[in-house]
Amino acid sequence: MTAPPSPDDGPPDGGGTGPDGDLPEAAGRRLGSGSFSSGLTVPDFAACLQMGLRPVGLVQGFCVMQWGWYGAGSPYMRGMTPFSFGGGAPRGVYSESYSCPHGGFMYSNEHRIWGQNYQQPWVESAWAQGFGSAYTRMVEEARAVGAHGVIGVVDSTRLLADMNVTEFHILGTAVVVEGAAAPPGGEPWTTYLAGQRLAKLVEAGYMPISVIAALSSVRVWAYCITEMLMEGTTLSFGGGYMPVSEVEQLSRAHIAARSLAREHVRGQLGNDTLQGAVIVANTQSLAQGDEVIECALRGTRVRRFKDFDPLPPARPTVRLS
Amino acid sequence: MTQPQDLPKEAGHRLEELEHGLFTSDLSVNEFLLIKEAGFHPLGFVMGSSIYHTGIQARRWNKSQELTKLTEAMYNARELAMTRMEEEADQLGADGVVGVRLDVNYYEWGRDAAEFIAVGTAVKAEDGTSHRNAQGKPFTSDLSGQDFWTIMQTGYVPQGLVMGTCVFHIAHRGIGQALGNVGQNVELPNFTQALYEARELAMTRMQDEANQLGATGIVGVRLEEKSHQWGSHTIEFLSLGTAVTKSAGEVTLPKPITVISLDN
Amino acid sequence: MSDARPAKTAATAAAAKTAATAATAIDIRAVMRRAADSLGAPAHDPPARAVTSDLSVDESLLLHSIGWEAVDVVFGASVVSIPPMVWTWGSGEITAASDAHNQAVRSAAKHLGEQCSGVRGHGVVGVRVEVDVMRHHVDVELTGTAVRPVRGKDRGSPFVSDLSARDFTLLHNAGWAPIGLAFGASFVYAPRRTMGTTMRQSSQNVELTNYTEAMYAAREAGMEHMQRSALDMGAQGIVAVQVSEGPMVFAAHAIGFTAWGTAVRLEAESHRYLHPEVVLPLDDATVEFEAQSLR
Repeated sequence: MTAPPSPDDGPPDGGGTGPDGDLPEAAGRRLGSGSFSSGLTVPDFAACLQMGLRPVGLVQGFCVMQWGWYGAGSPYMRGMTPFSFGGGAPRGVYSESYSCPHGGFMYSNEHRIWGQNYQQPWVESAWAQGFGSAYTRMVEEARAVGAHGVIGVVDSTRLLADMNVTEFHILGTAVVVEGAAAPPGGEPWTTYLAGQRLAKLVEAGYMPISVIAALSSVRVWAYCITEMLMEGTTLSFGGGYMPVSEVEQLSRAHIAARSLAREHVRGQLGNDTLQGAVIVANTQSLAQGDEVIECALRGTRVRRFKDFDPLPPARPTVRLS
Repeated sequence: MTQPQDLPKEAGHRLEELEHGLFTSDLSVNEFLLIKEAGFHPLGFVMGSSIYHTGIQARRWNKSQELTKLTEAMYNARELAMTRMEEEADQLGADGVVGVRLDVNYYEWGRDAAEFIAVGTAVKAEDGTSHRNAQGKPFTSDLSGQDFWTIMQTGYVPQGLVMGTCVFHIAHRGIGQALGNVGQNVELPNFTQALYEARELAMTRMQDEANQLGATGIVGVRLEEKSHQWGSHTIEFLSLGTAVTKSAGEVTLPKPITVISLDN
Repeated sequence: MSDARPAKTAATAAAAKTAATAATAIDIRAVMRRAADSLGAPAHDPPARAVTSDLSVDESLLLHSIGWEAVDVVFGASVVSIPPMVWTWGSGEITAASDAHNQAVRSAAKHLGEQCSGVRGHGVVGVRVEVDVMRHHVDVELTGTAVRPVRGKDRGSPFVSDLSARDFTLLHNAGWAPIGLAFGASFVYAPRRTMGTTMRQSSQNVELTNYTEAMYAAREAGMEHMQRSALDMGAQGIVAVQVSEGPMVFAAHAIGFTAWGTAVRLEAESHRYLHPEVVLPLDDATVEFEAQSLR
């Protein structure tokens, strides 16, 4: 087992961080049997044969990660606490602080004079490791059958309730491109697309390289202003209700979470393009205005191999039935 | 027939802005472009609404009959909403309203009161010829942008959205009758008779409206049936369509191309 | 028969493309082989900077046909608070909620525009608008793809539009350009009826005039704000307006109205007509070759 990733390791990597050579024995038997199974629907299957892609097997990868233990002292936190960023966050980690503007006489145990938004790289690394391990295992299965690529990838992450445990499951259909050479290093290319959408992509001049996914996680420790605005409480000592105003701490946290996810993905792209990006953001509201915002960005990394053919002039039509 | 009431003054500000040249439309981009192709320009999104209380009407449990008070109420409420929408269109100087939608909303303020809304996009011919209907008012139609363009190509022009409504109570079967039918495949004459009558009444009334407009025919007729909040033995039948007349000019529909599409 | 106009409306580019594909018989197998063999070689005409895009392939091709390209996925978000106690029963318009909603959309659109300018885009298309009005705050999240003409100069104020790339291309070909997101919202209390009035009205068919006026006022106020926001941008019109209304989940006696659409302006000399063809399809069912979404 490799050491858990440290937050100092730099941006999380979407693939290739898992251990090698640990597929279940049953997988070896299934993949070696000679006939293929495929998760493609019938139309997708027909479309792939039309494109010259011969399916050679259903491949999958699986990984279960636990993270509930990221309090002080856990391998994922390495001595960091929410307050340890006050002295300067580690390089490359997003954080913003907010201070109470009310002045000393407002201080009380209830009044939160200081708050912070910060990125949680330990959560991001754990997610990246889980996704990466599952992905690597799927690619290994594909290699074992001599595939050139994996199409129609489906990935799911599921929280197993009550256990703080997340399972990553990735599966796809391994294919061989008839008449083409094996990819460099024997490393199969992967894509979420299949069937007609894949055909359109290739015809437009893009070759899929790999599935890319990244998660960003931002924790909001609300300060007094945020808490009052979100909870609808008054200022103490006879102050009135706060008027309509932007909750800047939260707005910035939401934008930061999404932008971070985009930057993580960008770090894996090189000079290529991310096609078909899908963003899913999840906000967990804790008490007193605190929040955890997680944003997952997925897509296919593609590389141009020829120019766009000029589109034939579109004929606008009205259908009579 | 109810008297059309004055529009609230709030509507005035919004319509003034539209008269100064800004157009609004809830047409999709496809529809917007087709309206332009037909030689019309959108003026503004127009709406009319009325919150109506439909009174209680006594009904006999074992008799099938039209509940005329409820019919009147449903009709008046929609007429109020449509009339206000037409007034907004009139104020903009429109030739007509396309894409009219009639909705009924129920809110928390209790039973028997509902909000009737009519919305659409007012349009005007770009060449300045008047396309108002035989009564000199902007035409209304529930035609989409695509259907509007198509019908103009056929040489027929819309006159107005016509509707007929009928609220019918269907008699409950007596215990003896119900038990007698248990387990049999048999026509239920009560229901058949009731539904037949109700639908015919609704459609006849719709046709009467079209005749009043001097229309040649009605296109896009649809029949809606709803129980609203009255329980399952009372149903409103609403018949809706767009009345059209043949226009004076000679227009030819272009010959269509037949295709088999390779794509969806 | 002097002005028989051949009819045209918009169809999918894919339909036209497939028709053309059948005519020129593209060898998809050869293209796939060439694509797979290209993996060893360096990229052909790589972008200066990695590109992210949530457009589909069809949309990318449509943009390309008018000389535009995607640059980056961009985001805007804003949370604006609503003072407490505004949702308890009162009368008239709940101005605090309307202000909060409009401020939140404006702020989120501004952030979106800033991100777009930051990557040198001319505007954002296909914006997904998510608005959540809750008891104490309004959350607005906007996601879209920044686009620009392939060899265009930078532009001062980026446009934000919820038009799809397809609709953007159609309007562009007709000579119209989007300017921004026009939006408006208003919230109102449903008026109460007194006990006496209720009993008197219970057997009559009658319009409830104070209710009608309250709802009318609220709806018109929302629409007017939308129009004002468009006029402030220098728009000539608003297309594809979407209107929604309904009671608040957390306060059923409060009704909210929202309206938004894309503000547009005619950029060409005059509107360019499309001249669509009329088509009579003969198939009973189309052959489905579409990859179904597996997620």
